[in-house]
Amino acid sequence: MTRYRLPNRGRVDHARPVRFTFDGKSYTGLAGDTLASALLANGVHLMGRSFKYHRPRGPVSTGSDEPNALVGARRGPGRFEPNTRATIQELREGLEATSQNRWPSLAFDIGSVNDHLGSLFSAGFYYKTFMWPRAFWDRVYEPVIRNAAGLGVSPTEPDADTYASRFAHTDVLIVGAGPAGLAAALAAGRSGTAVMLVDENAEPGGALLSEPSVVIDGKPAWDWLATTVAELNALPNVTVMTRTTAIGYYHQNLVGLCQRLTDHLAAPPAGAPRERLWKVRAREVVLAQGALEKPLVFDGNDRPGVMLAGAAQTYLNRYGVRVGDRPAVVTAHDSAWHIAFDLAESGTRPAVIVDVRDTVDPALTDRAHALGIETLLGRTVTGTSGRLRVKSLRVNRMENGAVGAARDIACDAVLMCGGWTPCLHLFSHTQGKIDWDAGIQAYIPGATTEAVRIAGAGRGLWGIAAALEDGAAAGALAARDAGREAEAQPHTVTADRTGSGVTLTELPTDRNPAAAKAFIDFQNDVTAKDIRLAVREGMRSIEHVKRYTTNGMATDQGKMSNVNGLMIAADALGKRAPQVGLTTFRPPYTPTTFGAFAGYRQGATFEAMRKTPIDPWAEAHGAVFEPVALWRRARYFPKPGEDMHAAVARECRATRASLGIFDASTLGKIEVVGPDAVTFLERMYTNPWAKLGVGRCRYGLLLGEDGFIRDDGVIGRLAPDRFHVTTTTGGAARVLNMMEDYLQTEWPDLQVWLTSTTEQWATVALQGPNARKLLEPFVEGLDISAGAFPHMAVAECTVSGLPARLFRVSFTGELGFEVNVPARHGRALWERLWEAGRPYDITPYGTEAMHVMRAEKGYIIVGQDTDGTLTPDDAGLGWAIGKAKPDFVGKRSLTRPDMVAKGRKQLVGLLTDDPSVVLQEGAQIVADPTQPIPMTMLGHVTSAYRSDALGRSIAMAVVADGRARDGETLHVPMPEGVIAVKVVKSTAFHDPENARLSA
Amino acid sequence: MLLIRCPYCELELPELEFAYAGEAHIARPADPAGLSDEEWRDFLFIRSNPKGVHFERWRHVNGCARFFNAVRETVGDKFLATYRAGEPRPDVATLKGDAK
Amino acid sequence: MTIATPSGVTVAELPPTTRISLRIADPAAAGLALPTAIGARSAEGARTALCLGPDEWLIEAPEADRAAVLATVAGIAAPHSAVEVSDREITYALEGPAVLDLLATGCPRDLARMPVGSGARTVFDTAQVVLTRETQVRFHLTVWRSFAPHVRALLDIAGRELAADLDRNWLHG
Ligand SMILES: [Zn+2]
Repeated sequence: MTRYRLPNRGRVDHARPVRFTFDGKSYTGLAGDTLASALLANGVHLMGRSFKYHRPRGPVSTGSDEPNALVGARRGPGRFEPNTRATIQELREGLEATSQNRWPSLAFDIGSVNDHLGSLFSAGFYYKTFMWPRAFWDRVYEPVIRNAAGLGVSPTEPDADTYASRFAHTDVLIVGAGPAGLAAALAAGRSGTAVMLVDENAEPGGALLSEPSVVIDGKPAWDWLATTVAELNALPNVTVMTRTTAIGYYHQNLVGLCQRLTDHLAAPPAGAPRERLWKVRAREVVLAQGALEKPLVFDGNDRPGVMLAGAAQTYLNRYGVRVGDRPAVVTAHDSAWHIAFDLAESGTRPAVIVDVRDTVDPALTDRAHALGIETLLGRTVTGTSGRLRVKSLRVNRMENGAVGAARDIACDAVLMCGGWTPCLHLFSHTQGKIDWDAGIQAYIPGATTEAVRIAGAGRGLWGIAAALEDGAAAGALAARDAGREAEAQPHTVTADRTGSGVTLTELPTDRNPAAAKAFIDFQNDVTAKDIRLAVREGMRSIEHVKRYTTNGMATDQGKMSNVNGLMIAADALGKRAPQVGLTTFRPPYTPTTFGAFAGYRQGATFEAMRKTPIDPWAEAHGAVFEPVALWRRARYFPKPGEDMHAAVARECRATRASLGIFDASTLGKIEVVGPDAVTFLERMYTNPWAKLGVGRCRYGLLLGEDGFIRDDGVIGRLAPDRFHVTTTTGGAARVLNMMEDYLQTEWPDLQVWLTSTTEQWATVALQGPNARKLLEPFVEGLDISAGAFPHMAVAECTVSGLPARLFRVSFTGELGFEVNVPARHGRALWERLWEAGRPYDITPYGTEAMHVMRAEKGYIIVGQDTDGTLTPDDAGLGWAIGKAKPDFVGKRSLTRPDMVAKGRKQLVGLLTDDPSVVLQEGAQIVADPTQPIPMTMLGHVTSAYRSDALGRSIAMAVVADGRARDGETLHVPMPEGVIAVKVVKSTAFHDPENARLSA
Repeated sequence: MLLIRCPYCELELPELEFAYAGEAHIARPADPAGLSDEEWRDFLFIRSNPKGVHFERWRHVNGCARFFNAVRETVGDKFLATYRAGEPRPDVATLKGDAK
Repeated sequence: MTIATPSGVTVAELPPTTRISLRIADPAAAGLALPTAIGARSAEGARTALCLGPDEWLIEAPEADRAAVLATVAGIAAPHSAVEVSDREITYALEGPAVLDLLATGCPRDLARMPVGSGARTVFDTAQVVLTRETQVRFHLTVWRSFAPHVRALLDIAGRELAADLDRNWLHG
């Protein structure tokens, strides 16, 4: 039994010890502990150092509002998480925890020198100090600040854990399983409606876990809790999820939940994800998140041992842990008195109860005196002492508003309570209105924007009875709105602890307030005087005060600091709190791992990688792949010892000399069918289609309505009313969407339909002088001789016994065919052609050789040589426009003044003076390389390759007035020097007469 | 993630099934050649972008594949109505709340 | 809520089948008794017709019926489009008491409300899919061929997650 653990108290399992380490030292806790409660049971309060001043800190709370006790938690390689709150991390066997933000050790930290230089680090310090010289930012200020400040250290290894996600749909989602949430779940659950009840704690119960003495429906609180949870679990329409934090509340009752699945398990099952992100769509939401206790703001309120009174109550009653031998209680609210009583009754008599109020309910003082606890009313607290643990408390009388004589009271813990504030975070996410309740001096939820109800302490109702009644009512109303008959069940409560209190600014002091370290935001080290300084320096909006001081911007999201900061800012501004207003809370409610957001999207399932039916063959034959849209495509097929250039040169050479084979399956395919198919294509594409015969193909150019090139591809006519349209690989979905848009919304009268057939067909391209010789024996029912099946012919036939669509097309400038067969047969066809092609030295080529060969012919690639600002004329494709057509998409734009103005960039060829130099794609082009910087840029290189066929480098570029510059020398300035290039107006570098593809 | 009622499927479905498609009720001119450069510019590029009620197009792209129109209040980001392509603009004064 | 069990769900790829995307403005003119509500499916023997959009039906039939089905749609007199898409997609059968949990890992629709014998085009993760509900605990998921490995990998991961039976750890507190 550790020294601060009470036997047989709390909900921990005293029979199950759990071993763990903290900063390398071994400790023992109990099953059911958090890391914080286990350390406190061992007498360890010092758990961390603050962000800016490196002040020693211990836990202030027991939950997700914890600003101080942040640790690194580790479970073997790749499983390290920084900034884990010790108050949330459940103890598990073998847990390795380490403190952070300290060097060399937690007890002796060099960085704490900042604490003595506090005046340097006041509000706005960064803005004021590091303004000049500019060069110091990168080299001096930032590295030093990054090193000295910061929270935990980011993990350096890939995350070894997996994460999950889940959509869910429910009638009623209840957030928070305290008394209000449980009562709501009972009322809604008994109606038969679908209910999800979620709570971020390891078990349901909320405040009941800390208040076992209350009696509900004639049962002790924990018996009532067990009965209630059992009833809920037995209802098939109710799901209770613990360790599940509602992190964000989005439109139309979509609530994000992060569920911690395995962090509490000593040995998680195989395949188990660590966390699961739920996206829950609820018809009705009940927020039953309760209220947050506020610290009191006084000098030294951050020493280890100083904590929220409610936290001490939870450590005592839920975990059976005394937070000290001689605690002192300091409060502005009745609730802390009850905690003092619980402590006294359990054998730890508080040294004193200090209340800032002049009078309290006499029942409280009577009870304190009966328990032998000294009470001091109408006092202020002006300091604490102790380095790594609080040793004493300095208390002063208040006399007529003035601070009177001081008295030091020895203690080893200070339990403070500055009142309670409803937890408004999730409600704030919905942009619901927040009202100031002058009666309870707190912000409460006002008008709602969603189908949501707030129940219990979350709307300022104190006490268990009020929470149960309000929760039951909210649950019943939610169930009714979800279409069920529901009644709010009554509950009887005895030994309830209601109470009231006051809301304050920082406590008055007789010392120099400028020297006080009275913390508001513990994690970001924001003090009361920082807030006042911000106001003095001109900040008027609470949003500006927040950003200037960083108050509320730490990982606790202002849970502990926002209202105290607001009260002090309002006081400094001479306004009332509601005139100043709260800052907006934003998701997530608690820090959430990237893993949870990524879900299944990590590793191999990061995103879909589309592969063609022929891809496995390419992989087996050593292809190097590249991503094209979501596809992976074979880029080249290196032989042993070959680099890319060698492989690509060989693939081009073999194709032009004899025969290449290429997987063109990724090209988009759209089947356009119906009596108005021709009319539709006439309107969509620039080219004329009416006279295209069945069995013929044509290059099609697609513009946006703005006149710029969007896509291109070959379109074949299979029947009078049926076209096989091809698109670029990356443009397939976009083009289909654009076509559907026009068809559905502009021309709904047209009788034509569009079907994506991209994946119906596998496409094998055969290119080269021997393409026909190879293919001919495979083809049945079709004469593919040059005369019978000329360039730009298409036919349906049988190839190698498979139903096929055969195109005679070429993107290389060689004699070429593209064979489309049903996708499942794609690989078989490829392999048969491959085997039969050996006598022709058949060579598989990849996208890189395809790019080189098309550039040798001057064929553009949309998206590479065009960038959304090129017209057909700019790209040298004016010939593709049907001049006689009255209209097509984009036609009107082509005559807009700026589309026909001089100086437009035009696609041209570039030949470097030095034929061995390959330009860089994207490189800028200038006329005079000696002109002063910034130079006038005429355009840029769009494609550049080493061409084996031409024995030199080639390039395409867009250049202002490019075609008029035919023969002109321009320059490409590069870091290594200026490259001189000659403009050629035609990009057809190779076989400009097209003799080869007509063979 | 919003819920959007598809006027063809007649179901309220998750936004992940839909794609936004710009402002609604901007018909392509029947005779573009008859338009002045300014008129054509306005058709191409000028949009209302209101703070408040916006008539806009969506496509149930991962569903019935139909384009349709919607009225959305852009400050609270709430749909007031959805209706089929080709139907007239609903009267905003008669719309309130979600499209149910 | 249904508790997933280690044997809660199975995923199996179905053999190829004949699929035709039929588009027609007036379904009555097709003479095929096409259902007209989006999501509704009719069946005639082993042939089914699922209405995916106001003018779109997915006709499915066993491979043995391919020629007959193609001939039937080719015989429709009214203007229409019939395009064979048999090879465009892959169908997985998902079956078991945890099938809704499995689908909820990637599909945002509330599939508990999908009636048996109906279907819909929707999404699973980033892939467009067609789901049909064959029985209370059996769905068919049809996805374009190149997205199928991605969807299958996700289904397998989710299947292992369900098999790990973590839900017992949280469900009852
Ligand atoms: Zn729809």
